[in-house]
Amino acid sequence: MKIDTTVHSGYTAISIAGEIDMYSSPALRDTLLTMAKKKEAIVIINLKDVKYIDSSGIATFVEALKKMLSYGGKLKMAQVPDRVMEIFNFSKLDKVFDIYGSIEDAANS
Amino acid sequence: MSNPIVVTIPSHPRFLSVVRAAALLAAEISGMSCSEAEDIKHAVDEACSNVIKYAYQCDCTRKITVKFDDNQEGFQVIIEDSGNKSRLEDIKIRELDEVRPGGLGIHFIKKAFNTVAFDKKKKNGNRLLLTRHKNTDKTA
Repeated sequence: MKIDTTVHSGYTAISIAGEIDMYSSPALRDTLLTMAKKKEAIVIINLKDVKYIDSSGIATFVEALKKMLSYGGKLKMAQVPDRVMEIFNFSKLDKVFDIYGSIEDAANS
Repeated sequence: MSNPIVVTIPSHPRFLSVVRAAALLAAEISGMSCSEAEDIKHAVDEACSNVIKYAYQCDCTRKITVKFDDNQEGFQVIIEDSGNKSRLEDIKIRELDEVRPGGLGIHFIKKAFNTVAFDKKKKNGNRLLLTRHKNTDKTA
């Protein structure tokens, strides 16, 4: 899994590529919890190149979302691949996360 | 599939990708659709993650053996370890409506397989038996 973080005017984008599983999710957790610790106002996760996500990856996103909501921050998802979306739907996380078709849509919402 | 496929990995999370690849191919060879095979892959991954977390308490130096077999009963996966005795009721689980970290793994396993049970005859370690019956639509 690769994580690229880029800071933009008004938001921080995190692009993830590869597989999010029990092995890789601790690195993702570190990245997201660091954002939450810095009280980043808007973080947009670009999932376009994610090939797989397991329950540890979902748990990581849920934990980060809860931390960010606690100080009024926003965690948004963009470009969610179909298979990842299926997993979000099954887990009922589609009702919890703000999901957008593109980074631009997420940034402008 | 005329013969079972057996994969043994060290109990380190970095090797879960090997089991996922094997699970996907075994499911595809047995004739499942892409979506069904992805569900199988996900379920086997979650089950092996549970072995590392619960049976081995994150000891990465042990072994996990996964056997895939397509027989009269259906598509069967047997996951064996030599760790602490596990019971399904001891594995963390949450309601799908309850949004909090953790507890989803079992839901993904039950999504892919009709029966999920530990073999009570195994004396040391665990043998998890997962069976997806033939002609079962578990996509609903």
